[in-house]
This record gives sequence, C-alpha cells and structure tokens, in this order.
Amino acid sequence: MLLPPSCRLWRVLVYFYSILSLAGCSPPTATTPAAIRIRWAHDPESLDPLRMASPQAIEAFNLLHVGLLQLNYASRRFEPALAAALPEVRRVGDSLTLLAYQLRPQATWDDGRPVLARDVAFSVKLMFCPGLPNEAAQARYSFIQDVQLDPADSRRLTFVCRGQAPDYVQATGSFVVLPEAAFDPAGQLRPLSLAALRRPAGSKAASGVQEMVQRYLRLDPSKHPERLPGSGPYVLTTWLKDHALTFRRKTNWWADRLPPPIPAVLQAQPTQLRYEIVPGEAAATLALQRGELDLFPQMAARDFTRLRQSTTAQRSLVFYTTSSYDIVTAGFNTRRPALADALTRRALSRLFDADGLLAATQLGAGQRTAGLVSPTDKANYNDSLALTPYDLPGAEALLRQAGWRRDHAGWTRLSPGTGQQTLRLMLRYRPDESVYETIALQFRAAAGRLGIPVELQPTESGALTGVLKAGEYDVYLRTLRGNPFGFNFAPILHSRAVGEGNLTGFGTPVTDRLIEAVAAAENPVRQARLLRRFQAMLQVQCPIVPLFFLPTRLAVSRRLVGLAVYDLKPGYVATTLRPAAGVRAVSAP
Amino acid sequence: MTALSLLRRLLQAALALWALVSLVFLLCHRDPTGPAELLLPDQTELSGSLAEQSAAHNAALGVIRARLELQLPVFYVGRAAGSSSGAWRWHGPANQYHHWLRALLHGDLGTSLRSGRPVAEQLGAALRCTLPLTAAALGLVVGAALLLGQQLAAPRRWWHVPVRAALVGVHSVPLFVVALGLLLLFANPDMLAWFPVYGLATEEDTMGWARLGNQVAHLVLPIASLVLVALPDLTLQLEAALRQERRTDYATTARAKGLGEAQVIRHHALPNALLPLLTQLTDLLPALVAGAVVVEVVYALPGMGRLLAEAAALRDYPVLIGGVLVTGAARLGALLLADILYSWADPRIRWQN
Repeated sequence: MLLPPSCRLWRVLVYFYSILSLAGCSPPTATTPAAIRIRWAHDPESLDPLRMASPQAIEAFNLLHVGLLQLNYASRRFEPALAAALPEVRRVGDSLTLLAYQLRPQATWDDGRPVLARDVAFSVKLMFCPGLPNEAAQARYSFIQDVQLDPADSRRLTFVCRGQAPDYVQATGSFVVLPEAAFDPAGQLRPLSLAALRRPAGSKAASGVQEMVQRYLRLDPSKHPERLPGSGPYVLTTWLKDHALTFRRKTNWWADRLPPPIPAVLQAQPTQLRYEIVPGEAAATLALQRGELDLFPQMAARDFTRLRQSTTAQRSLVFYTTSSYDIVTAGFNTRRPALADALTRRALSRLFDADGLLAATQLGAGQRTAGLVSPTDKANYNDSLALTPYDLPGAEALLRQAGWRRDHAGWTRLSPGTGQQTLRLMLRYRPDESVYETIALQFRAAAGRLGIPVELQPTESGALTGVLKAGEYDVYLRTLRGNPFGFNFAPILHSRAVGEGNLTGFGTPVTDRLIEAVAAAENPVRQARLLRRFQAMLQVQCPIVPLFFLPTRLAVSRRLVGLAVYDLKPGYVATTLRPAAGVRAVSAP
Repeated sequence: MTALSLLRRLLQAALALWALVSLVFLLCHRDPTGPAELLLPDQTELSGSLAEQSAAHNAALGVIRARLELQLPVFYVGRAAGSSSGAWRWHGPANQYHHWLRALLHGDLGTSLRSGRPVAEQLGAALRCTLPLTAAALGLVVGAALLLGQQLAAPRRWWHVPVRAALVGVHSVPLFVVALGLLLLFANPDMLAWFPVYGLATEEDTMGWARLGNQVAHLVLPIASLVLVALPDLTLQLEAALRQERRTDYATTARAKGLGEAQVIRHHALPNALLPLLTQLTDLLPALVAGAVVVEVVYALPGMGRLLAEAAALRDYPVLIGGVLVTGAARLGALLLADILYSWADPRIRWQN
C-alpha cells in the first residue's frame, strides 16, 4: 500500500520505538545471585604477582593469596596470616637484620599440600629469576640477601636483610607466597642461592632456571591467575577483561579449620565477590542507585553529596565519609633564586585558600592540616601549629620583608649573587583531576591580586614527574600518598634525594639530620617529639605547603552488613561484607 | 579503476601505513626511560636507606630496560650515546626499530607493557566489542540519513522546520553531552530506567535469544548516542545535495514524464546526490575500528577507543602502536574505498582514468 512520505516516516518511527521498547524490557543485567558487587574504575590489567601491581590487582591478590602477614585495617597493623606470629627480629651489628618466621601448621594450598618454608624461599627466588617480568619485585625486595630454612623445622625460615629499617617486618610479610610444586616440582632452584640468582650470567647458565622460567611463562599467571594454586580464601572464577571479575569463596579454606576466634585478617565472609569495571562516574552512580552495584568506593564529591541528599537514595544506600592518607600539596622549587628563601615561600603559601578549596573541590569533606602528618594521628600531629591562613595582606608584608619591591615591572628585588630577580611563577599540575585545576586557578587569581604573574602549565601525568625532577617549574601541585606504617620523609625532603623523590630541591644538614632521626626512631614517644619538631620546621621552611587531606567516600547498599570504613585505601575490606539477615539475594530484575 | 591502478593504490597505501607507524614508533621511543619507570614502584615506596632505595631502583631499571631492549639504539642511525660533538653513527640492525619491524612482518605486534598480554589479542578483544557497536551505528545512521534526507528534500511539509531545527540543535551538542544525557534520561531510576547502565551482556548472564535481547538492550543507548551525533551532518548534507539535484534539468524532465516527486528524488536525484556524500561516509569507516572513546567510557564498554586512550595515557607504547596500525590501515582502506566508489558511481572519473 502506498502511503504519503510523512505517514511512512511516522510508521518507521513507531517501529523503531517498538523495537527500543521491546529491547528495554530485557533484563538490564543478570547478576549471579548472592554476589556482592563492587565498583572498580579500572581493570587490574595483570594478576601476575611478580609484575607491578595496580591497586585493583593488590585487592585481587589479597583474595587469592595470603602473605606471611596481612594488614589489619582496623588496628592499622600487620598481623600474622600465613605466619603463626610476628617475626622475631634480631639485628647483627649495623649491617644485617634477621627476621625469623614460623608458619602456621594449618596453612595449606588449594590442593591440600601444606604451605612450607621452602615455598616462601622459592617465592623470593622467583623475584630474582632472570627472564621473568619481576623487576618491580626486585626493586621492592632487593634488601633481602638470603632466606635460610631451618633443617629441623620445615615451617621455619629466616630472612637475612641488608642494613636496618623499621619497615622490614611489613615488607617481608606482605609479598605473595607461591607454591614451589606448581613451578619447580623437582626443586631445581633449591641449590641456587639468592646471590647466585642475582648474577645474571651464573643463573642463566644454571640448569633448571630456564626450565622453571618457561614453565612460569607457560602458565601465564598475568592472564590466568586461577592456574596458580593459592593459599587465600577465594578463587577467581571469571575474568572478563575490562568488564568484571568474579571470585568464589573456597569451601575448604585452611583458615576455617583454625581454632576460634579466627584472626580478623583471616576472615572471609562473602561467598561470592564480583568486581564490576565501570570507568564512568555517572554510569557507576546510576548502577548503584538501580541496585546493580552494592558498593561504590572513592565516589566523586558531587555525586556523593547529591545522592546523600536524595530521599530515594537514602532508602537503599548508606553513606560513609572518612579521612585518608592522601594529602594534596603544593611544592616550591627552592633551586630557583626567587624561591630560595623561606620568607618568600611562606608569603606565597598564604595565597592558597585551603578552606575555600576544600569547600569547592570536596564539598566540605576532607581535613585541613598544618603538616604532612594526618591530624587524625593525635599522637604525632603537631596540633600547636596554626593552619596556614589565606591572607593576601600578610603575604604582601612577608614579600616586602623578604626584600621584594613592587613597581611597574612587578615584584623585584636585588640579590647580591644573582642580580635583579623578578617574581613570576610557573605552576605545573596534572590536568586530569579537577582538584588541581581548581587550586591552580585559585592560586593564580590570588597571586594576580598581588600583581604576581602566574603561568599555568598543565602537564600530562606521565611526563609530570620527569619535568619536576628536572626542576622545570616554580610551583607544583600533587598528591602525596601517605604511609601510616612509618614516617620516612627522606625520599621527598632529604638533600640526598634531590633530583629523585625530592622534587623541591630542599634540604639542609639540620633538616636532613631531623628526617633521619624521625625515620630511625623506635621509641614512639621520642618519634612523636621528633615528628612535631619536623612539622614545625616544615612550616617555617615551607618547601611544601600541605593543603588538605582528601576524604574517602563510600556508598553501600543497605542489603549489606559488615562494612567497616577505613582511612587506608581502598577504604573497605571486601572480605568482611555479607548480605544482611533477611535480605533476599539480589537477582535479575 | 583498473587492476593495475588498484594495485598501485594498494602499494601506496601500504607505504603510507609503514611511514605512519614508523613515525609513531620513533616518536614513542624518543623517551626510552619513560615506560620503564612506569613499570616500577615509586622510589619512595621502597624499603631501606635512601642510597639503598636509589640503588635498588636503578638496578631494576637496568634490568627492565634490558628486557624491553630499551638499551639498544632506537634507529639505524643516531647520535652516539654521550657524544657531545653530536656525531652521527650507523648502528646496524641491532636497533629497536629493526627488531620491532622484523617482528611486525612476522605478525607479532608485541606485548602490552602493562598487562603482559599480546597486543594482537588485546586489539582483537577490543574490536569484538567495538565493531558491533560502530557497525550498527553506521548502518543505522546511513539508513536514517537516507530516509530523513529524502523526506526533508521533498516539497515542504509542516514538520520539516522543527525536524531541521532539531537536527541543527543536536549537531551542536558534543558527543559526551549526548551520551550522558541519554544515560541520565533512559537508564536513571529517577527518570526512565528502560535500559542497562553499563557494559555488555556476557556469556555467563543468559543464553540464546534472551542473551541476544540483553545484548541489544545494552547497546541501544551507546548506538543511539553515536547515531544522534552523526545523523544531522549526513542528513543535512544529503538534503542540500538532493535539493540541488531537484533543480536540475533531468529532474524537470522526469517530472514532465509524469513521475511523482518521491520517485524523482529516489530514482533520479538520489544517485547523483550521493556522490558528495561518499567522502563523508568513507570518513566514518575508520571510526568503525577506532571506536568512540567517549561512548565507551560513559557506558563502560571495553572497546578500541578506551583501549587506545588508556594506552596513550599510561604510555603503553606497543598497544598504542598496534592501535595506530589498525586504525591507520582502516583510514587508508577507507580512502581507497572512496576512490573505488567514486570511480564506480561517477562515469566521468572512470572515463578519465
């Protein structure tokens, strides 16, 4: 039948709409019942324990494997996991540290074989085998000189570590332990010492090494971690790259046989965990609202606030905010003559409106700080220090005190060594995070009001560190990832780290000694005293301006219980989650 | 186009593709330390004293550079390492480019620095997600543009003005706004939760027709985003071309022979109006394989666009170079196709050749 064109158009549109409607009736997502679904922004990429691990991969490793020690998020301490107790630490002169571990007799691999000291020794050797992608592990564990097994006890071993450092206990306890039988059933690596493996020529020639390396590569653990027997509570059942990972709890996990109470670090509640890879914030937020996700960690400030204010969302979701150890800082290039004196740096630090920035970027969450130590750490935070104020007149006065004069050419001063200096700044930051953009614009506006020209240089994140190391900046913005297990500021502020981790170029003999003393202090009271001095010194010298600690935001479905929120990334422990009693497992709508 | 000229064009395309990927390879390897640094933990995360941290980091860096062959010269010729005089040296075949090209000619695109997976495998997986999306979008956009363009070119009706205004309006909206707008409108429990929010249906979800329906449901919004963004341009171009053709003498003759306006447009004006559109259509073909990064990120689709964007951001050069190779080949293939189609559609070009 011939119809006028307009009628045909409408007919087509009606058909199209019908198809869309039919498609829309299909189930949005059919999720495995009872699976707890957590949002990840990125795929873990590789689950090879020897490679450099992303945060997602670390979370996956903690499900698949158990280290000698595991982090207890609640106590912020490493506690025994595969090990029966914390290691016995013995120092030999100034040059060696011995850490003796005893393994739990109950610990077994998936196939029922016991986890033995030789598995730990093999895992360490694997890190130094040539031909494997283990460079990240080599860098991390280069301080391990040897692993000595106790001939009388197959579950006892001693790490021989070069030098002394407070974090050796944490470092030796936290790597992935792999079964020797899976890669080296004949034990061909056993006669080779770590020292021999570190000599590439010798180890390559050694019989068995290449064979073992080929066996490892054939297993392809980066793609098929399920081929590796693990000692952890979960097995990976599916990994749909860039889509989702599903973990199933083992029915015969060895820690279930431990006498109660089961240590907190060895508890594993959910029977299934599913990590959904959703890079877009909007899609992840909608999925949470629709009940297609149960837990959304590290939520963006704006979405979090909007959902928290929504009565509909409040009925199905619970919202948590806590502090984190990530601190947003500004740094000055102290190698530049104009920024070489503390007075100028202190003046410029007053151009950051940290309160306003917290309100604008974190919508009021987060915490201001006077130092690099978190204010939540009451023992070590120097609460006698005043927060750096946003104070333009004060900044101007300090600049004049530093010898700067304002004239038609801007701010200038005469210096005996370098002649006339002009105060104009180049600010570098990563453009991929809006928080830096906001800070940069605020700083430029504030400086502009004083007549200080600021050139903004957004720099691609991959190139930023190199540019900062080369000193091609005046001011930078970046986030420092804090470490709650130690206070070693040497990599970022010691004069020997200039050109590497110390990007500001700052360092004096006095501050170096203080930083070394803080790192070496073992007595908590003495360390707290030194830390307070360090924070005061940092505020006076001002190579770095600590702006604020970022918050951690989580939204979780009410169908779950057992969530405890922590200030350590990722902010939760998946193994403590479980469906609330009486709540039916989620199935496809 | 004769077989000989086609062969010549193919050779030219292959040469251009080689030049393109070689250039990208050499640009990527201008900073040989960069990717190696990204595969190691930050020095501040290492244990021990500062000197030990530095030594451990540098030693691991040396090992990784050796494994990735980054210690080799980048090209056959180059300045001698550490040479202050800037003298050029011939490095012979022991260079990174030679090794890469030899592997490429054996079909080996290399291994991803981040995941350790073969690049070809990653590209294949991404294409399996991208192609259904972009091909469906392309098919729909061409079909809809043909339909709508003909309707709009016909004598004026009441709905022409609002539809044209809507097309111009949509044309001015960026893709990310369209994609987010559709998501917030049609996958939002506070609005209309008609479609899934993200991802693709997977083999573990459902089976058979239900799975197909689920797959279609997952793709509706991403496809709609791509269609909405590409449709106005094609439609308005086609309409303008059709209007021009309708004013020609042969169209008047067709009308004089008693043909209706719809038949004049479809059978006489459309074949000629399609000519200028061919370039636009073939321009869309590379996007078939390059994917649409915005749509893939918004809807969490693991496609080519997202893969290449992440590879570029994280300096995963083997993946990036492999992606450039594939999309470059698609671009050159599209240009070749445009030439062939022109030659087929326009007898003047055929005769000229």
